[in-house]
Order: sequence, then structure tokens, then C-alpha cells
Amino acid sequence: MTSFSQHCRSWEHGWSRRRWLGNVATSAGGTAIASALPGFLPAAHSSALQRASKQVLFIWLDGGISQLESWDPKPNTEFGGPFRAIPTAVPGIHVSELLPRTAQQMQHLALIRSLCTQDNAHSSGVDRIQRGDPKNRGVVYPYFGSAVTKLLGPNQSGLPPYVWIKPLSGGFMHKDAGFLGPQYGSLAFGDGKPPQNLQRPAELSAEIQEQRLRLRAEVDQRFAAGRKGYAAEANAFVFDMGLELMRRQELFDDSQVSAADVERYGTHDLGRHLLLARRMLEAGVQFVKVNSYGWDTHGDNFNGSHCLVRRFDQAFAAIIEDLAARGMLEHVLVIAMSEFGRTPRVNGHLGRDHWPEAWSLAMAGCGLKRGIAVGATSDAGTWVTTEPYDIGHMFHTWFNALGIDSQHTEYSNNGQPLPIAHEDCGPVREVLA
Amino acid sequence: MLQATQPGWLMLLSSLAALPLVTLLATPACGQDDDRAPGWLATQIDQLLEQSLEDAPRAPAAGDTEWLRRSFLDLAGRIPTTTETRQFIADTHPDKRGRLVERLLSAPAFSQRMADAFHILLMERRGEHTEWLSYLRTSFAANKPWDQMAREILDPNADAETIRGAAFFQTRRLEKVGQQETDYAGLTRDIGRLFLGCDLQCAQCHDHLSIDSYRQVDFQGLYTVYQNTVIRTDVSYPAVAEKLLTKKTEFMSVFDKQPQSTGPRIPFGIEQPIPQFEKDQEYAVPPDRKTNFPGVPKFRGLQVIANDLTAPGNQRFAENAANRMWFLFFGTGLVNPLDQLHDDNPPTHPQLLKLLADGLISMKFDLREFTRELVLTHAWQRTTVGSAAEQRLYQYGREKRLSAEQLLISMLTACGPAAPSSDTQTESSPATVGFSESAEQKTIREAFVKAFGNVPQDPELEFSPSLKAALFVMNDPLVAQLLQPANGNLADRLAKLEAPNELAEELYLSVLSRFPIESEQEFVRGHLQQQPDRPAAVSNLIWSLLASTEFCLNH
Repeated sequence: MTSFSQHCRSWEHGWSRRRWLGNVATSAGGTAIASALPGFLPAAHSSALQRASKQVLFIWLDGGISQLESWDPKPNTEFGGPFRAIPTAVPGIHVSELLPRTAQQMQHLALIRSLCTQDNAHSSGVDRIQRGDPKNRGVVYPYFGSAVTKLLGPNQSGLPPYVWIKPLSGGFMHKDAGFLGPQYGSLAFGDGKPPQNLQRPAELSAEIQEQRLRLRAEVDQRFAAGRKGYAAEANAFVFDMGLELMRRQELFDDSQVSAADVERYGTHDLGRHLLLARRMLEAGVQFVKVNSYGWDTHGDNFNGSHCLVRRFDQAFAAIIEDLAARGMLEHVLVIAMSEFGRTPRVNGHLGRDHWPEAWSLAMAGCGLKRGIAVGATSDAGTWVTTEPYDIGHMFHTWFNALGIDSQHTEYSNNGQPLPIAHEDCGPVREVLA
Repeated sequence: MLQATQPGWLMLLSSLAALPLVTLLATPACGQDDDRAPGWLATQIDQLLEQSLEDAPRAPAAGDTEWLRRSFLDLAGRIPTTTETRQFIADTHPDKRGRLVERLLSAPAFSQRMADAFHILLMERRGEHTEWLSYLRTSFAANKPWDQMAREILDPNADAETIRGAAFFQTRRLEKVGQQETDYAGLTRDIGRLFLGCDLQCAQCHDHLSIDSYRQVDFQGLYTVYQNTVIRTDVSYPAVAEKLLTKKTEFMSVFDKQPQSTGPRIPFGIEQPIPQFEKDQEYAVPPDRKTNFPGVPKFRGLQVIANDLTAPGNQRFAENAANRMWFLFFGTGLVNPLDQLHDDNPPTHPQLLKLLADGLISMKFDLREFTRELVLTHAWQRTTVGSAAEQRLYQYGREKRLSAEQLLISMLTACGPAAPSSDTQTESSPATVGFSESAEQKTIREAFVKAFGNVPQDPELEFSPSLKAALFVMNDPLVAQLLQPANGNLADRLAKLEAPNELAEELYLSVLSRFPIESEQEFVRGHLQQQPDRPAAVSNLIWSLLASTEFCLNH
């Protein structure tokens, strides 16, 4: 239902590796296939490849983390709640005492405390935020992960570009992709488990399997001759990806992880999933989304936050520390956020409700300043007192951090030009490096 | 899960694959359903397409093997066996293609193929129910007209055992998923999409912004009826009941806030008045609290929709059916997307869509006759070879996605035992063939659907290779088992053939339904030399063809 074209089908555009790689190649005016050794490519080439080597870790705290119990504490105020604010590694920036470990990584982080968005319902809010809330043009916009993998183009890892680590079930989540077409959807690993049939049958050797795949490629080459070729290319792509994922099975093998790491990240879902996310990023996956559920603390917000935020703190601080130590923050953009914040006013069930008016998110890594907190809210935390930023501003910011000029890059939806982020917004310059 | 060593899977080869073939070869050609000579519509279709092709060179007709494979996949849901291919090639009758089309159209495999295709089209992999599948099979076996089927699905009769399964279309969509409320809007939307080719979703809250002809009342007139339906809980089969419909639905646009109202009304149709009854006179069959029977109102919206939507004057109903049938056989709609039939999205060939819709009406929605006309066109019969040079639609034949069901039975056909020749066959009654499925067969079919089908609610339109399908073909024990030599199956036969040329011929004929060309003979010889372990070489070669794009497309 995505293609209005009469002559081509949507996948004929999307799945073609030759085209994907061809885009990279033509930017250098050459015809070489970009899968050649990057070191031997001309300069323009390597800058395109460099962009393609950017990665994203997107941590989604579903239901809405309370900004007052995390990035924007207001102790000793009307709505401040029981928790204190603590100093961080960056003088002058304080966070909630529920984030003690993260506070020690503050020198790597960039906070936005002046988010003001539109939607206070989960069902529409999650979609709206993750799709960047563009103007309505009668098309469904892609989630950030689908957008990034489309705009960056494939990297050299051979792994699925957009991976989603989440509790419960996995599978291919094509709806993320919106009008880009289902192939830009996410491959979800339910509870971090590998997809079905990743194990080669015992009686089949790796050598024989590779022999078979080579034969298969030969057979396809003959079939594709004189045809449009997209079908065979798309098919080759998924077989290659399958084989690559099988070769990287150690990614799913928990016994490969050091006991110290398990302890540092935590044995809870978010800890295990962020540790897996680190390994996925190390292996070269372009976009890793990690979901954590249960943040909708309408009741008993303070006990709830005490438990949830501290778990997040443990795992988040560990992965920031690791990415920094490995030098990966140079090319990995990290974002941790929800669909909205929570009301300063505490309700009758000692909970906080949905509050899109004034809330916060945390970022780190590629293209961003480090050790910075942008924006401010009123004393009671109710309203943004500096320039308010909508999700559109954040999409512009993230795209620019990844080297994509968000104000001059457009999608082409079967000829319909579409901005990649809300055209009434722009990037938050003060946070860009 | 089935183990690779389990013999049961192999036993299924004959039961699943051989049964339909038996009948195909044995069924005599049958006469036409219509007075007009076969091909009457096909000729007119080709004439219209001729004009649009202008001076683009026409691709030649597909050769015998290409044509035969396409015919079998489209009309029988599987590839031909080696026996069928050899017989067809040897046949010297001047109208052997026309005769084969007739044989395929009258075989039970055709009704099974149509049942599978319409199950995928209508349910979009939301799940299945035995009575629903059986409803589709028996309906296509009886060649029930499409307008009648549509009425039975839109207004299911719970008291008629043979057709009550049709209710599953609605009951499945009325089921609550997790914490979510019943998705009445989703059911309403699907009625528009699947029976009229109109996706009215955006007209739910206001007149459609970009499609002038989709107005809010078009959605609300249907919604009035479907928001009033419930799943019956007093019976164990799928059945839908209606609450009393006594007043119009009020709604307003989110933009202008002007109050409006409508009673039952099909999109672009006429609103039907809601009759008022005395209290206690509203029911034709009153509810029964003891049995939980919800009763049958005298005035039923489902009946109104079913009658109005399928009425002879509703051109969109015929256009949608024609467009979806065209998609089934040509891999693309005359209107794309299939559910965007409106003035601002004109068909690629407007006159052709009208010709097809009128033709379908004149055939009284006989889908078998309609299919015959589609496959008798030159357009359907053209080769796909060389289609890289395509400048105009339908200049070449078109590649189509194979469904999980087509892939399953084709893999079984390719890897199974050679079919006996036709003169040893016995007749099979259309009433029984393919209508029963063992628990194990069901497990295998479900594994294939999981591997090759789309996720629920995602229409299966284009060929879209997936990681899960690739991993299934690479590693699933079901596929590995197909490559094990046993009882005269393909692996067994090939292992016994000494001469590489004979091996290559049997391999290509079995899997790709054609003879190998010289470079392919060379390819087979090369691998046999490279891999001295003959059984390993044989299974590698079979696998490489099964996993090929040529095998998993209908081209």
C-alpha cells in the first residue's frame, strides 16, 4: 500500500544493494562497488562511507520517565517529590539522586530540559514522537530508526541495519518503516533472543552450506540476466544477511559475556538488553533500539521511579562508560527518552500523569557537545522557561549530529518530495558540536 | 517440531503433492460455462492493451515450459511434475494450451488455489478457522459467483452449516486483542478496502483531505452497522449477531464541527431508512437469556449492506473484484494500491478496467470463466525473459510472488517421488480431494506460512524476500528433510543417475520445470566434480535450485 508507481514496486527501489551502494559510488563519480576496501577509496567516497559508519543507540522508556525523578530534579519545591538532587561530574549540573552512576558519566552527556511536545496520549504519542511529528501530508512517516537506515545507507557490517531489542516477542516490525516501505522495518529480537532457524542443522557443515549459497548465487545470476534483477538482488540480500547473522551467533551467546559486565549492567531486562545492544553496536549494527516498559507511573510514582530509574541508571551509565572507553562515542549517537514527561502535580494515587508541556531527554556521542544541559523549566518544573523544543527540533538535531543536513535533505515518496523533519523546526545549535 | 529423522514428513509427500496431480491428468476437458466462445473477452483485453503498447516491441509468447509452469502455479497452485511437463511437451495438438487451461480450470486443484488466494486476500494472515477454509473450498468447488460469496461473507447465515464459516471474516476482526477495545473502525475499513477497493480510514473523522470522493458519511454509513455487531457466544462456530438498530449514528467532522447523521449506507450509495417497531416487536427471532442467544432483529444492517453492496448497479463492487483478479494473474493492479479506487488515482488502463468490470457483470461474477479469459490473453502468455527492456506495462509477462501455500506444494512436488503416468490414475472426487488435512500437514503448512507469509494485516502483494524466509530455507529441518534420499524421491533418483547430463535434466525438470541449457549442464558437471561425495553434491544442487529466485517466483 506504499507504492503508487505503476512501473516499479516499492521493494524494487528499497532492496537493491546495487542502488544503495551505487549512491555511495556515484557521489565519488566512480563506478567501483563500495564494498571494496574502504582504505583504497577516494576521499569523497570515504566521507560517504564515514557517514554510513555512524551508528545510533535509541533507548525508549515506554510510558514516560519522570523528568523530576531523573534529568530535571526540583527538590524542596511544591511538586519536587522526596528525592534530592546530586552533583555530577560536570560542575553546575545536578540530576536526581536516583541517577548516581549516570551522574559520574555526565561529562559525556548532553541533556535537553526544555522539551515541549504535543500529545499526551500513549497510543498516539509513541507514534508521534518516534516519527518526529511531521506535518500531515497523508503519508505515514518512518520511525527514527527506519529514517536513519534509509538516510545513512547501508554500512559494511552485513548485519540487519535496524535492530530492536525488546521484552516479549520478536519478529520483523515493518510498520516502523511507514512510507519508506516494509523493508526499512526493524528486526526485533524478543527478549534479546535470536530469530528462528539461526542454528545450522548439526548434519550440515558450514563448508557445505557456504558451497550451497555460492551455487545459489550462480543459479540466480543466470536467472537475473535480461530481467530487471531487483528480485534476485533482494533475495541475495536476505540470504547474505542470514549467513552473516549466523556467523555472528556469539552475539546471542550469553556465555561470551564477562561476569563483571553482567554485574555492571544488571541482570534485569534493561541491563541485559543494553549489554546486548553494546555487542550489536560493536558488531556494526547501524541502529539499535532498546525498549523498556512500565514507566507509566500514574500510581505510586516515587516507589516506581526508585526502582525503574535506578535500574536505568545502572545500565545506562555502564553503556556510556563502555562506549566512551572504546572510543565509540565518536560515531555512535545515544538517545534516551520517552513519549512525554510526567506531571509535576502529584495525583491522588501518589502518581504523576502525562506531561508533554515540559520534560527532558538525555543524549551522548557523535556530533554533540559533551557535559552540557540545554534549556530550563520553571521553579516548580511546570513550564519551559527557555526556548521550547518540539520533537521536530530533536529530529533536526539528531540528523545533523549524524552528518545529514536535515534542512536540505528530502525523501522522495514516488516523486512526492517530503522533508525529513518538521519544516517549522530546526536543529538545536547549542547542543551540536 | 518435526525432526529430520522422522519418516512421517516424507510420507506426506504423496498425500499432499500427488493427490491433486492425479486428478489434473485424469479429468477430461469440460465445456464452457457460457454461450460465448472462450476467449471473447481475452481478445478485447488484448485489443485495448495493443493500443497502450504503441510501438514498444511485444515480447513473444512464452515457450512451452515457461507457459506450463505459469499455468500450473496460477491455476493449480503448484509447479507441474516431470511427467506433466514431458507429456505437455510431447503433445502435438494444435490447441494443447487451450485444452490444458480447460483441464486445470475444472480440476479440484483450481478451487483449492482460489480458496488459498481468497483466504490470503480476505484475511491478510489474521489467522484461520476450519469452517472458514472449508467454506472457501466448497464455494470455489461449486464455482459460486463472487457476488453470492460476498453476500454470504457480509451477512453470514449461522443456521446453514455449509456456509456459516463465512462469518469468520467478521468474527476474527471483532475479537479483542489484548487490552484493546473491539476495532469496529478496522472492520469497517476492511469492508471498504476488500469489497469496494476503497480505503476509507482517513474519512473516519472528516471528509478525506486529498480524495474528494471519500466523504465522512461513506465511512459512517458502514460504521453504523458494524459498531452494532457482536460475536455470538452461544455457539462454538464463528457467528456474528446484531444488536437492535433503532437510530441513526450522529457524527461531526473534527474540522467544522457540523453535526451530521446517517443510517446504514454503503459508501457512495443511498442511505436506507431505519424502520421503527413497537416495543417487543423488534425481533424476528427474540433473544433467549437462558441459552445466551442474542436474537435476530427484524431490521438488520448487515443484510442492508450485503444487498446494496453487491447490487447489480454498484459498479465499484465489480471494479474491485476485476482489479483484484487482475492483480492475482498479472501481479499488479490496474488500480494501485488495490484499495485506492477513486477519481484522483486513475487506473493505468481506464477502458480496460471498465471492460473487465462489465465483463464480470455479464458473466454473473463467475470467477472461473473470468480466470479463463485472463489466462487466454496474449498479455498473460508473454514471456518474462528479457523484461529488463520493458518500456510499457504488459509488454512482457509479469513476475509474481508465490504464496506460502504455493511454495509448500511446489517444494513437495519438486522433491517428491516422480508422479506415475496418467493412464494409471484413478478419478478422485472433487468433494474429498484436498479437503482434509492431518494435524501434521497442518503443522507443516503453518511453518511455511510463518516463514513465507507476511505478518498479520500486511497484504501480500509484492515479492518481498525476508530474513526469516532465508533462514528457514537455509536451516529448517523441514527443508533438510526434503533433500534426504528416500523411496524414489528426487534426491534418491538423482543419486542413482550416473551420467551428469541425465542428472542435470532430471534436476532442472523436477525443480525448475524446464530443461537445463548448456551452461547449466556445465554448472552441474562442475559441481559433481568439485564435490565428489555424490549424495552431498545432489542435495547441494537441489537446494541451490529450491532457494533460487527462479523457483520462488511465478515468472
